[in-house]
Amino acid sequence: MALFAVFQTTFLLTLLSLRTHQSEVLAEHLPLTPEALKVSVNSAQQCLHLQWTVHNLPYNQEFKMIFQIQISRTETSNVIWMGNYSTTMKRNETVHWSWESELPLECAAHFVRIRSVVDDARFPEWNFWSSWSSWQEVNVQDSTGQDTLFVFPKDKLVEEGSNITICYISGNIQNDISCYLEGEQIHGEQLDPHVSTFKLENVPFIRKGGTNIYCEEKQRKAISNGTVLFVSKVLEEPKDFSCETRDFKTLICTWDPGANTALDWSKQPSQSYTLFESYSGKKKHCEEKNRCNWQITQDSQEIYNFTLITENYLRKRSVNLLFNLTHRVHPMSPFSVQFENISATSAVMTWKVHSLGDYFTLLCQVELHGEGKMIQHNVSVKANGKYLLNELEPNTEYVAQVHCADDNHFWKWSEWSGRDFTTPEAAPSEAPDVWRTMKSGSHNVTLFWKPLSKFHANGKILFYNVAVENLDKPSRLEHRSIPAPANSTELTLDGCSYQIRVTASNSAGASPAAVIVVSAAPGNKEIEEEIIEGTEDGFSMSWKPQSGDVMGYVVEWCDRPQDPLCDFQWKKLGPNTTSTVISSDAFRPGVQYNFRIYELSTKRIAHLLERKTGYTRELAPSDNPHVVTNNLTSHSFTLSWKNYSTKSQPAFIRGYHVYLKSKEEQCQPGAEKAVLPDDTVCCQYKIDNPEQKTFTVENLKPESFYEFLVTPHTSFSEGPSGTFTKVRTPDEYPYMLVHVIVPVVICVVLLVCGCLLKSQWMKDKCYPDIPDPYKSSVLSLIKSKENPHRTIMSISDCIPDAIEVVNKQEGSKIQSLGTRKSLTEPELTKLSYLYLLPTEKNYSGPGPCICFENYTYNQAASDCASCGHAPVSPEAPPSQWGLLTSSENLLKALEKNYMNSLGEIPAGETTLNYVSQLASPMSGDKDSLSTNALVPPPCSEYKMQMAVPLCLASPPPTENSDLSSITLLGPSEHYR
Amino acid sequence: MDLRAGDSWGMLACLCTVLWHLPAVPALNRTGDPGPGPSIQKTYDLTRYLEHQLRSLAGTYLNYLGPPFNEPDFNPPRLGADTLPRATVNLEVWRSLNDKLRLTQNYEAYSHLLCYLRGLNRQAATAELRHSLAHFCTSLQGLLGSIAGVMATLGYPLPQPLPGTEPTWTPGPAHSDFLQKMDDFWLLKELQTWLWRSAKDFNRLKKKMQPPAAAVTLHLEAHGF
Repeated sequence: MALFAVFQTTFLLTLLSLRTHQSEVLAEHLPLTPEALKVSVNSAQQCLHLQWTVHNLPYNQEFKMIFQIQISRTETSNVIWMGNYSTTMKRNETVHWSWESELPLECAAHFVRIRSVVDDARFPEWNFWSSWSSWQEVNVQDSTGQDTLFVFPKDKLVEEGSNITICYISGNIQNDISCYLEGEQIHGEQLDPHVSTFKLENVPFIRKGGTNIYCEEKQRKAISNGTVLFVSKVLEEPKDFSCETRDFKTLICTWDPGANTALDWSKQPSQSYTLFESYSGKKKHCEEKNRCNWQITQDSQEIYNFTLITENYLRKRSVNLLFNLTHRVHPMSPFSVQFENISATSAVMTWKVHSLGDYFTLLCQVELHGEGKMIQHNVSVKANGKYLLNELEPNTEYVAQVHCADDNHFWKWSEWSGRDFTTPEAAPSEAPDVWRTMKSGSHNVTLFWKPLSKFHANGKILFYNVAVENLDKPSRLEHRSIPAPANSTELTLDGCSYQIRVTASNSAGASPAAVIVVSAAPGNKEIEEEIIEGTEDGFSMSWKPQSGDVMGYVVEWCDRPQDPLCDFQWKKLGPNTTSTVISSDAFRPGVQYNFRIYELSTKRIAHLLERKTGYTRELAPSDNPHVVTNNLTSHSFTLSWKNYSTKSQPAFIRGYHVYLKSKEEQCQPGAEKAVLPDDTVCCQYKIDNPEQKTFTVENLKPESFYEFLVTPHTSFSEGPSGTFTKVRTPDEYPYMLVHVIVPVVICVVLLVCGCLLKSQWMKDKCYPDIPDPYKSSVLSLIKSKENPHRTIMSISDCIPDAIEVVNKQEGSKIQSLGTRKSLTEPELTKLSYLYLLPTEKNYSGPGPCICFENYTYNQAASDCASCGHAPVSPEAPPSQWGLLTSSENLLKALEKNYMNSLGEIPAGETTLNYVSQLASPMSGDKDSLSTNALVPPPCSEYKMQMAVPLCLASPPPTENSDLSSITLLGPSEHYR
Repeated sequence: MDLRAGDSWGMLACLCTVLWHLPAVPALNRTGDPGPGPSIQKTYDLTRYLEHQLRSLAGTYLNYLGPPFNEPDFNPPRLGADTLPRATVNLEVWRSLNDKLRLTQNYEAYSHLLCYLRGLNRQAATAELRHSLAHFCTSLQGLLGSIAGVMATLGYPLPQPLPGTEPTWTPGPAHSDFLQKMDDFWLLKELQTWLWRSAKDFNRLKKKMQPPAAAVTLHLEAHGF
């Protein structure tokens, strides 16, 4: 026993020592350095695939190990990534591991090394890092020429919004290189003298044909190379994924696919959709992007768990849907919709549904559209549906439609199936609204009725029947049929009372009758019109009922009172109504509307109750009255505008304002000062009676100007500020003179008439024959002494000026030839004026020029320039005179006159001369002329007068015998 | 041949000689057969029409490629487009081309370009672009047929493609999409140049095929005999 114990102990000790020894050997002689490291490259994925093994693992069991991996770029010392990879492995087993580089692997050389450690609790003694494996270089430089520029990665497929690094390798190219993304320069960093990298962040989707990145040599300005970055839209999760069946044979699954991620150049097709059902384990690739049909097998599967998977090259997404098939029933639309037994108010609708099996009941919804209304009814249906549509309107088009859904588990309504139908006509349900107008003083009654509403007409009204019955004496009922759409008729009745019945008829029958009674004695007493105020909404009016027992009230008016047809309107009101609002779209501001309110007795006789008038809105008068001025005196005048109609104005005329402008500052009593819009001040007279259309303005001043304006005024405004009319008051004296002068003139006329009757007597008394100067003794004396060429002025050469009749006393004649002073003495000379008359009856030449000396003129002609006569100097030769006047006759006349008057010129006369021109000798014989010339006229003498200016009156310095008798006259004297 | 006036045998011999050679004078053949003139004119017209059509198509396609291909001054190196038939030729060389060679070069060029163009159509994504390209390919096919017609009229054989030299549009793995876009650019540019050159070619042929004045004279003289 003891021996056994010793042996056992020895064995255990030996085993323990052996194990300790083994551990020491593993630690010292079994390095766990990864071996057979192989690195492969996937350029498109930018991945390094590493595989290695650990040969020295003891035992053929799995060890939990950690591998530490170092990756360097460009050179081994430039470690860019280091990480651990934990796995379990057996001896000689190959381990695979991948690393994705953000930089395209073509851009730089990469180096990889690995070391390992046993991370197993069973072998804590091996828990130490092994030595690093040797560096493994990865170089995927393009093998093409060194003079070419390369851009990496080539044709990379990335997702929108991702970050990517690109690089170019310039090789031996020495020039500066610029790179662009879609025309925009990008800036990067230099990895080594020949390699530059560019980090692009959040790359956008630009086009399906890819985003162009290219580099060019600055000096050559030529694009060297580039790459196309294919940016895919992000694959979206399908939305609104849903499945349903319509016939329990096919499940239709639909969804919203979102954006299409397809790219051109065969880089990526559209995302694919696959339907997977987990219970059956079946899968179906969907041909369409937004729907897929799934065949329902007959294995009575009720629950479905669908997964919709969508994927593209970059991403995979899925949505799940679990449902009971019987809860996703979308019935087919009903068919064979029919209508039976269509009457004016009802119809039966029938339809059929596609059967879903014996256990399924459908809920059908019937919708009836008509007359702008919609009515819904629900019907439970197995196979055939039927529903009674009642309460329909006659002669109405309806549209009825039906759709159905699963009654047990509502999912979706089917599509609508429907048809339209029209109900037949029915007799009008209501009597037409009838009213009448009666012309005063005649028995003509015009009946009006309103067309029935569509609701009451129940069809197309074809005609109206009017039946007239005499109430006073039995007679035959008079019928009249008026085709629609007439709305009035005129009846000529006698003085009796009549009952008129009006019905409207369509193809189905006649309406109830509207009854109206026309009384024999309308009794339209004079009722005063009441003014009411209207608004834009209409006229609100009320009335006082006269008798307690009434059928109702009627308000009548004209919508267009200014038109001849006036668009007659009425409104019937119940017996308990004593107020109403009359409104109409035809009401316009500024138009006066007149309303008559009738009371309808129980015998249907109408009595005028009240009259109202008003405007919906009063407008300011647009015109002023046309005013006529009457009775104009020096102190007053009357204004009249009787043609001005107050009824046709756009407002109630409350009166008139008379404005008066004058120079007077104070207004007359009854007027007050008013300031016009143009800031002028005038007097305002106010007339408050609109029917007073005359106004007398009094207390005016004679011979003064006044301006007036008459304008109407309403309760809120007055007429336009028009132009004022001017009036001038006359002088008050002419008025008096008329009373004085007229009788005087009449007397003078009578006197003249008398004188004409006694003309010969008058001639003898007033204008006897004129003496002939040729026969004057004075002329003979001159002729003997002077130039024989001198002749007496012919009277025909004389221009008549004026005739002066001088009544002189014989005794004063000599004095008048003397000084002027003696001539002007009133006590000595009486002057009177007559018009020029011919000297002889047979005179046919130019009018004789006979001038009567005018002393008054004598004095006035002191100014030679203003003198109406040609100024003549007695000394001026004829040639000089020609400068003064071109008239040769005048020249001769003056010369002769001068000669004639020499004998009468006293010495010492003044420079201003009046030279008498005597009667022309051409008209009479010389004998008589000479005879007459010597005989002085009994009561008057005639002399032609010519004014001679002072400037020409000085005698010439000659000693002509003609001038010997001429004496220089002093101022204010004249030749005689 | 010694011809003297009054020598009826000599005249007869001359007449027979002229009549013998009449069918060889191209201008005189116009009475029955219109000759290649109208078909050359039609080919010329079709060339001008294609020029116009290509202007619109190139604009659309280059916009589809994006910058820098649609930039007006874009002039990339002809990296992968070496296989495209070059339209540019030395002026003297072009002048010295005979009709057969001239037509043969046109035919060969459009045969290749049409093939490349169909490859372009396969890549284009939008339906509108595909439609435009298909329409243009049909027109270009028509031009090719028209050139073949002219060559047949003139009695020139059509060039036979060497076996194995059928151009294809299958870029190798090293041919990046960017270079492919550049090739597309060059294809459209070369096509434009070829259409321009063809218009010149057919215009020259058209003038050349017009009846020379001498031939007409000969025709009249022969008629006078």
